[in-house]
Amino acid sequence: MLGQVLFSGLALGSIYGLVALGFAVIFKATDVFNFAQGMFAVCGAYLAVTAISILQLPFPVAVVFILVVAALLGAVIQATLIQPLAGRSILSIIMLTIALSIVLRSSLEIVFGPAGRTLTTPLPSGSFAIGSLRISQLHLTAAVVSWTCMVAFGLFFRFSSIGLLMRATADSHHAAVISGVRVNVMNRLAWAIGFTLAAIGGVFLGQLQIVSTELESIGLLAMPAVVIGGMQSIPGAIVGGLLVGIIEQLAASYISPKASDIVIYILLLLILMVRPWGLLGQPSINRV
Amino acid sequence: MAPMDPAATSLPAPRATGPKWGRIALSVVAVAALIYLPTLLTERSVFGVRLSNMQLLNLGLSQVNLMLISMLGALSLNYLTGCAGLISIGHAAFYATGAMAAAITGTQLGLPFPIVLLSAALAGCVVGVLAGLPSLRVRGLYFVLSTMAVHYVVFFVFLEYQFRAFDVVGVPFGVASLAGFELNTPTRWYFFLLAFVALVYWGLSNSLRTREGRAMLAMRDHERAAVSAGVDVRILRVKVFGLTSAIAAMAGALYAYYLSNATAENFGIGFAIQFIAMIIVGGMGSLPGALVGAAVWLLLPSIIAGFAQEMGPMKGIVGSMLVEHRAQFVQLVFGLLVIVLLIFAPGGLVGLWKRLVGRLGGGRTGA
Repeated sequence: MLGQVLFSGLALGSIYGLVALGFAVIFKATDVFNFAQGMFAVCGAYLAVTAISILQLPFPVAVVFILVVAALLGAVIQATLIQPLAGRSILSIIMLTIALSIVLRSSLEIVFGPAGRTLTTPLPSGSFAIGSLRISQLHLTAAVVSWTCMVAFGLFFRFSSIGLLMRATADSHHAAVISGVRVNVMNRLAWAIGFTLAAIGGVFLGQLQIVSTELESIGLLAMPAVVIGGMQSIPGAIVGGLLVGIIEQLAASYISPKASDIVIYILLLLILMVRPWGLLGQPSINRV
Repeated sequence: MAPMDPAATSLPAPRATGPKWGRIALSVVAVAALIYLPTLLTERSVFGVRLSNMQLLNLGLSQVNLMLISMLGALSLNYLTGCAGLISIGHAAFYATGAMAAAITGTQLGLPFPIVLLSAALAGCVVGVLAGLPSLRVRGLYFVLSTMAVHYVVFFVFLEYQFRAFDVVGVPFGVASLAGFELNTPTRWYFFLLAFVALVYWGLSNSLRTREGRAMLAMRDHERAAVSAGVDVRILRVKVFGLTSAIAAMAGALYAYYLSNATAENFGIGFAIQFIAMIIVGGMGSLPGALVGAAVWLLLPSIIAGFAQEMGPMKGIVGSMLVEHRAQFVQLVFGLLVIVLLIFAPGGLVGLWKRLVGRLGGGRTGA
């Protein structure tokens, strides 16, 4: 029982970690606390529905389609909505992302209808047993793909020259501008990456459940995940995502399914009171 | 926090010396119109001339009443966020607190309505002070998140309470009565709510002129300066939180009584978000802006629905979109409205109006 719960917690946590990583990339690069991140994941799920069920593209082409369109959407959103609001108050920017998620949600419901859709991909969907543990192949695939994406992003961020420029931009916009970094391009890239990571997470969430705009609330769990892990820390987002996934599953099976959200948000409150910079972050926030 | 748009600051203008006749005439007309409004909306005719549904913008008195209740929420949130600079996305939690307090004192204990309202205010104040406590420790984004966490906690408590004490259908509320005067028709509700909103508006806008009100505006604009001028910002923050939550909780109790039934789903995170949208549409930091924002937010859906009925027979994409996906279409319009206002008019509609008046009036500046 416990092993089973831990396994599904880890698998779901990997997806949350992926969405949260996208969130953290956006936050680190542009200081935008993106309430639309959950909706980005939903967009990813609907992109998969479009590519696979409606356009009936072959699977590898569909994957490329999802990734390219998601990246484009992220860059376009940054250029048209986020950039004009640079330097404005926190509330304006938060509300912009909330309004963006409302617009995305209603557009998706108008285009695809409010009813949920099932998503079937050629990904393995059976299950096998190791001892008493039943391993769902889809959960396993989700975890493996999430970890591959996270490692790939980590390597890119750490070792590629563009990653270096991104880190420089995140550290100090001014210094980056002076050194000739094209900051706007870097920011657009960050949004593209953030949207794409969320979209990949959304494809798996959509396949594990039903594709509908209700997936947003699951995608939004990335937010407590990021804060618990540490908002300025990229590994923190992943750790936070895993923790949220495991805690959610534990609370759902040992306390009550209704209690899963509340446990996470109480943990969030505790972290905010005791260690606001998160588990892996550095204490650099403003104190009163 | 970055200073707000100057067009939207609500530092009260010095009172004009000596009333102007034009202004007096205008307020008399406004009061007369407000008194006449319920008659107009229930009889749906002006001096015997029957008005079509669209001439009345498809509005009914119950929408106006719900708008008045939302105005209380928008006023208190704008006071908290716009005037004190504390961002909260947990405003629905205080509504829920008020509704819960009203359910305990009104529905379960059967106490009279004024006491129910007071207990809602008290409960809201207590929860508000608790929700404001993290502001002693964390700021900005972290504080926003703590209000969101508070929201989920209160939401969960309401849900548990509802299912323990009542059932899925929700908490029923009786007819509110003030010393024998039963609020059992929309018109009666209208006058009660109108007076209530006017009272809250008057109180809040006057409080900005007091010593603490000015200290609060100073705290929003430059905290360090306020501290060095001797303002105890910590106490002030918690006080503002208590006050605004008490107002929101009373609004929540009124909302529950007006709908005569309340469920936890009424007070989801979307409910909290709509208040933020209202003050952004109306104008951050401006109390009239809160009224305008609430009016737009509550009346626009019904106006759009009216147009949808008119355009119903129309073929084409627009017609079908309006009929089949009206709810989504309304949401889309709202989302786009907020985005456009945020990018092009940070002062909201009131800021836009002031800019317009400033441009037309030439010498008179908008701010």
